[in-house]
Amino acid sequence: MGRSYIVEDDVEGYLSRLCSLLAGPVTGLLIGQSTVQRDFVVMTTRTPQNDESADGGKSVDKEWVSEHARQVSRMLPGGLSVLGVFIISESDAKDTLTTLRQLVFSVENLISSERLWTPADDDVTDCVTLHVNPKTRKTVCRTFDVKDPKSVAKPADWKYQSGVCSSWATVSCCLSVDLMVPLPENMAFTRNMNDCLKEELKVWAQQIERGVCLIDGKKLPEDSELKAGQKKNVRQTISAQLLITPDVQTAADVVQRCGGCVSVRGAIHSRVFLHSNKPKAKLAEKLLKRDIVSTVATRVQMLLEEPQKQTEENKGRKQTEQTCLPRRVFCPVKSSGPLSVCDYQFSDEGLSEMIDRFKEMLDMDAAEEDLDATREIIAEVVESEATEEEEPAEENEMLDPWRNNYIGVAMATAVALLALAASIVYLSDV
Amino acid sequence: MVLADSESAVILRLRGPLDLKCQLDSIDEVPMQKAISRTFEALRLQVKSESCVLAVCNSPVLIWPNKSVFEEITPDAPCEDIFQFIQTDDKETSGKRSTKKKNKKGVSASVINLSLMMEATKPGPVSAPILTRTVHKSHLLCATLPMDCAVWSSCSDTIKDGCERLMKALTCQLFDMEKVTLQCMKGTTLRVPEPLHFLLPEPNGLVTVVFPSGVLDKELEAQRRELHGQFELPDNRPFFRRANAYHFPNETYRDGYLRNPHTFLTHPTLDNGKVYLVQGIYSYHHYMQDRMDDNGWGCAYRSLQTICSWFQQQGYVERGVPSHKEIQQALVEVGDKQASFVGSRQWIGSIEVQAVLNHLLGVTSKIMFVSQGSELASKGRELANHFMTEGTPIMIGGGVLAHTILGVAWSETTGEIRYLILDPHYTGVEDLPVITEKGWCGWKGPDFWDQTAYYNLCLPQRPRVI
Repeated sequence: MGRSYIVEDDVEGYLSRLCSLLAGPVTGLLIGQSTVQRDFVVMTTRTPQNDESADGGKSVDKEWVSEHARQVSRMLPGGLSVLGVFIISESDAKDTLTTLRQLVFSVENLISSERLWTPADDDVTDCVTLHVNPKTRKTVCRTFDVKDPKSVAKPADWKYQSGVCSSWATVSCCLSVDLMVPLPENMAFTRNMNDCLKEELKVWAQQIERGVCLIDGKKLPEDSELKAGQKKNVRQTISAQLLITPDVQTAADVVQRCGGCVSVRGAIHSRVFLHSNKPKAKLAEKLLKRDIVSTVATRVQMLLEEPQKQTEENKGRKQTEQTCLPRRVFCPVKSSGPLSVCDYQFSDEGLSEMIDRFKEMLDMDAAEEDLDATREIIAEVVESEATEEEEPAEENEMLDPWRNNYIGVAMATAVALLALAASIVYLSDV
Repeated sequence: MVLADSESAVILRLRGPLDLKCQLDSIDEVPMQKAISRTFEALRLQVKSESCVLAVCNSPVLIWPNKSVFEEITPDAPCEDIFQFIQTDDKETSGKRSTKKKNKKGVSASVINLSLMMEATKPGPVSAPILTRTVHKSHLLCATLPMDCAVWSSCSDTIKDGCERLMKALTCQLFDMEKVTLQCMKGTTLRVPEPLHFLLPEPNGLVTVVFPSGVLDKELEAQRRELHGQFELPDNRPFFRRANAYHFPNETYRDGYLRNPHTFLTHPTLDNGKVYLVQGIYSYHHYMQDRMDDNGWGCAYRSLQTICSWFQQQGYVERGVPSHKEIQQALVEVGDKQASFVGSRQWIGSIEVQAVLNHLLGVTSKIMFVSQGSELASKGRELANHFMTEGTPIMIGGGVLAHTILGVAWSETTGEIRYLILDPHYTGVEDLPVITEKGWCGWKGPDFWDQTAYYNLCLPQRPRVI
């Protein structure tokens, strides 16, 4: 028994337009929600032009398609994911199927390599492929099980319907994030920070997964059905809460040497879309936790991907640097019910840059007034390498004991040194 | 923290980990102490904040104590009402029922377990995260505080009252933990503070003390002596060793042995008689346990094991209960037996029990000799005195059998006497109803003894230490 995909009407329109407009093979992504109960395709977007491609875009570039999928995946709130790939081409069905198979596996491998959450047993591992012949408009839909490298194509149903996601529910929450991880003593500045941060994010992701999820203030049994989608065309929002407990530290030494630390502090807005066919509490909880983890991991990843300023390691000086993580901005998907996509805005970017990205990645035409940038605010941060602001605080800590005459000889010497060289922070020779 | 006791009560127990994390720019004593104190202050603010949540274990009940939000229950309902919401599996409930019915002696209390959690979600809009990178050769303090508060709640207390007391206890515990952490700090070695509960005799009741983890009882003698003084406790028996920690009614013992089966019996009432029982906790050791088939020869060994378990659980010794081989080895070491004794199925008597207690546990014992079993009927006063002053289980051997005496019911005026016997000859599984109903732990009359055989009793003496 094959899978059955219920597809938004707009997708048909989009694919049709692509058929008539372009020559040569066109690839793109199919976006939607795949659950044990149902499969929905709600959006689609063509692969952007690759200006640097060797043959001017005549052949399908697996890496390019996968990279596009990876970036699009970051722009999808919870509940929406890249379900598969489509290709519009006149080529032989068998050749196309092989290409599609390669694409789907490549896309899935790249996207899953960035994931910090562990896959669940009830996750659907089938990916969908669609082959559209531009002349005959004939569509062939097949699925592959991406967990099985030897899987063969299975036939699947592809049915168009209007208003597929018109009564989908939105589950959202704002969540505080407070991570702190030590940096090793002797380190290559940037590289070690990346690794430390990624490790800490994995630990934090597990903490989130263990958290207790409340839906509308209550802890619901896993299989209870949410009251979503009972009224057609009514926008439904469900509020969620997450209760967490810290990890139990098991290190033998409570106090450890380090070369500094990295912290991520603030909050994020998480959003999940749920299909309206009697969705279960378990699904809402799973998708919400995944979105929380993804949105933080994506932003940290994006920050680390930015070219880093190589700051000189100044021995003895305490260096502090603060950078804002990009904030999440939402853009409604027109005529698709309550759905929206998102992107991340760095403090030095304007909304127009986001509009450009929505166009390039998702082939979406949006205006600045459509964007919802009210969920997260970018904090004011003072980016400073010199620690003039930090030092006075430290000096005060050192001087108070001196004023109160509570110190031993070592302290007296240190303070004397401080008094002489006012801008150097005292450090014991460790 | 001291809490009053009442007849039938509910214990609210709140547990949960709290992160103690801070960067130490300097490891000199004063700045380090200040940094640690600041971190504890931040934790105290955290538990007073609106994101602090108490979740009743195995139930949908959730409480936000600092903003008076109660999910599933009303704040003015009595604490007992929480039990309606707790889902336990059948095995647990049947155990609980029998405990509640028959445990007449001592405190009859049930426990409501709560988990300490923090709500990570909050209303928006929010400030996007900031990444702060500090490069500085320093130290990081990273530990988990195992919060564990227990408050007594009488039947009439409302849930709201109970929670308020729990939150006060939580803040108090953080202060205690800060004190212990700073006191036990040596350079960069820090001990994680650990709360323990002790059930003290009236009027003190259930008391929580914070000790530094990883420090042996021996090294905490000064602190324990101070506590004895504070609670006006005698200084010749331990109350605050780790082994003395209160065992909550609903916690299972992981080793599988039954504890104090005698507490489920109805004690005899004699004219002008009183009941004198073993004081404290022991485990029931008997034939066939530990995959050791000692049926027919090991009864005195098992009685000795029961006695050793008493000394371990009252905190007098650290070592666990010895095996048959270890007992035999000990007797060889003291020169009482030849090397060939080890691995044999030879019986031992009270003298050997006395020798092993002395050699392995450092415990002295008195031997009482009775030339005829019938004489035991007149030993009421001695036995009563033993249980009053020493409170240890007695091993009795005679004829061809060995038993453990856990108590005596004796009337000074009529001379009537009954003996509370724990029988090591039982070969079945740890089934409490069978053991109590079939008399494997039960009250026996003077005719229980072989009237013509001679008996030796080993009466272990409690060390006079704290």
